[in-house]
Amino acid sequence: MDFTKTDEQELMLENLREFCDRWVTEERIQDWYDKRRVDDEVCKAYLEAGFGYMFIPEEYGGIPSDAQTLAMVVEELMRTTGATMPFMSYGLSMYDLATFGTPEQVAKGMEAYNETGQQCFSLALSEPGAGSDNQSMTATVHWDDENGTCVLNGTKTMVSHAETAPYIMFIGKDEDPSHDNKSYSMFLVPKDTPGITMAPLHKIGQTSTNFDEVYFDNVVVPQSDLLGEKGKGFKQLMHNFEIERIMLSAHSLGLAQAALEEAARYAAQRVTFGQKLFKHQLIAEKLTDMEIKCQNMRNMLYKTAWEFDNGIPVRLDSALCKRYLSTTATEVASDAMQIIGGLGYTTESKIGRIWIDARGDSFAGGTEEIMVHIAGREIVKKYASDLL
Amino acid sequence: MKIAVLVKILPDDQDIQVNGDRTLDFSRAKSTVSTYDLNAIEAAAQLAAKADAQLVAVTCGPKSINDSKTRKNILSRGVDELYMLADDGLELADAYQTGRILAAMVQKIGDVDLVIAGDGSADLYAQQVDIQTAEALGWPAINGGTALDTDGTTVTVTRMLETEREVIRMPLPAVVSVAPEVALPRIAGMKDVLAAGKKPVVEFTAEELGGIAAPTIETVEILAPVPTPRKKQIFDAADEGAIDAFVAALREVM
Repeated sequence: MDFTKTDEQELMLENLREFCDRWVTEERIQDWYDKRRVDDEVCKAYLEAGFGYMFIPEEYGGIPSDAQTLAMVVEELMRTTGATMPFMSYGLSMYDLATFGTPEQVAKGMEAYNETGQQCFSLALSEPGAGSDNQSMTATVHWDDENGTCVLNGTKTMVSHAETAPYIMFIGKDEDPSHDNKSYSMFLVPKDTPGITMAPLHKIGQTSTNFDEVYFDNVVVPQSDLLGEKGKGFKQLMHNFEIERIMLSAHSLGLAQAALEEAARYAAQRVTFGQKLFKHQLIAEKLTDMEIKCQNMRNMLYKTAWEFDNGIPVRLDSALCKRYLSTTATEVASDAMQIIGGLGYTTESKIGRIWIDARGDSFAGGTEEIMVHIAGREIVKKYASDLL
Repeated sequence: MKIAVLVKILPDDQDIQVNGDRTLDFSRAKSTVSTYDLNAIEAAAQLAAKADAQLVAVTCGPKSINDSKTRKNILSRGVDELYMLADDGLELADAYQTGRILAAMVQKIGDVDLVIAGDGSADLYAQQVDIQTAEALGWPAINGGTALDTDGTTVTVTRMLETEREVIRMPLPAVVSVAPEVALPRIAGMKDVLAAGKKPVVEFTAEELGGIAAPTIETVEILAPVPTPRKKQIFDAADEGAIDAFVAALREVM
């Protein structure tokens, strides 16, 4: 077992910290959380430093990368800032587009991405009646072959980046909205296409990313806007779920580590009942368990990332990782808040933001319960396949 | 055109511990690039890009400087090649010895038109090496540059004096040292970091460079300053005249 980081990984992380020092001040973070978006110039600087090109194929200007380095970069970004930096995922979204888009669609996406540094599309997947239960989706695609167009209808909800991304990745059922229809198609649609309107949803945390309901009312698009294969939309979407789970788990870990460090620094200074906080046994125990949890989270994440990089299937481990890291990060952030006391419950301390943001990871990219749904079956397959 | 930038690799000051007897413990300190030299590398890289010149970095020091991560760090910043002498004979090298070695390296590399150095090293900050190197090379030198330009046969250096801006043109070859404000060091891109390991590094031996000169100064000892204990003097603002006493106390120590 080798836990040593390569020279390149160490330099990238040093450069990332320098990027955060220069571009991500606490004042700016608060501004971004208020206005629900990160300034273009900062997204662009992140992209130009190369971090936003990870995983995108080289022919589109990307940087060949691996899950371990991506996990380290995302973890360090959250640890250093103690906040959710939405641009952590923009490169991976372009990787999605590059996986099933035509070269023209990818080029269009890259052009938008390079211009502003903002994510080039939002993903319109969830609906008011279809979240984890995707099959209940009722949005439809009507194929008008005579005119060479498609007509999109439906209400999409919890669409991240809807206000800042120039394109929307829409998914709907072909012709028939009924539950059992499994024929889905995906489209890359310009946000300003007639018939598309949106209304903001207000999350309690991670508000540096805008979040909207998006309405498609007889939206007419050319059939050439189809992404990938007609009828295979959902399978395509599942393609990169595992690396997305690794990335989101790294987000959880970075937040937890930031909370732990904040609490440890506070405990080293704050005096109560005549002694430093950390010398009280109840506080020392909390710090100990938080450190154990952070180390465990890191071990699990890095191992899963290593498996992914080595072509070992991670269907089970990425689900375990996503569930364990999102729940545990919230526990660590909650304990950190307890150590900091009443001050931790004010907006003057950043621990509140970390706690609220960590809690959001229990929903983002698949709920904790969906991870159980995936893992439970995989565990039986792993140990009792002869009985199935 | 070929530009050489002089770089010092030294122990990261964040990791240097002070022992009980005020001596310094470098055992946990990793190598890093001297802070002001990052500005010099950036200025040199920008000038090289503008003048379509080749940029080489030149460094010397004890064996500990030959660290793969630090080499890649330098080569990820727009530098094409790195030349190095890593020899424990340079453990406590003075500016004269360093200047002689760097000059010998510049001559050995050959065809160098312009040498750029940082403001001073982050550890000793003697601000001597640029001048000593120029002297050994027999080239003109100027320091404190805040902007550089070249037409291939001369270098134009801008310097900020107290009340005026001075622009000096020198024939090449020449040595110029630059003030930190000359350029903000880049955040090396991931692509540059990944490419750095593939760039050439040329290691010289002291013999190839005519040996290390005898030192001109002797370092007797290097000790951390004696820490001043806190006075723990408390002024209660509610007391009559406390603010005046507080100000007076501040004045006394300043």
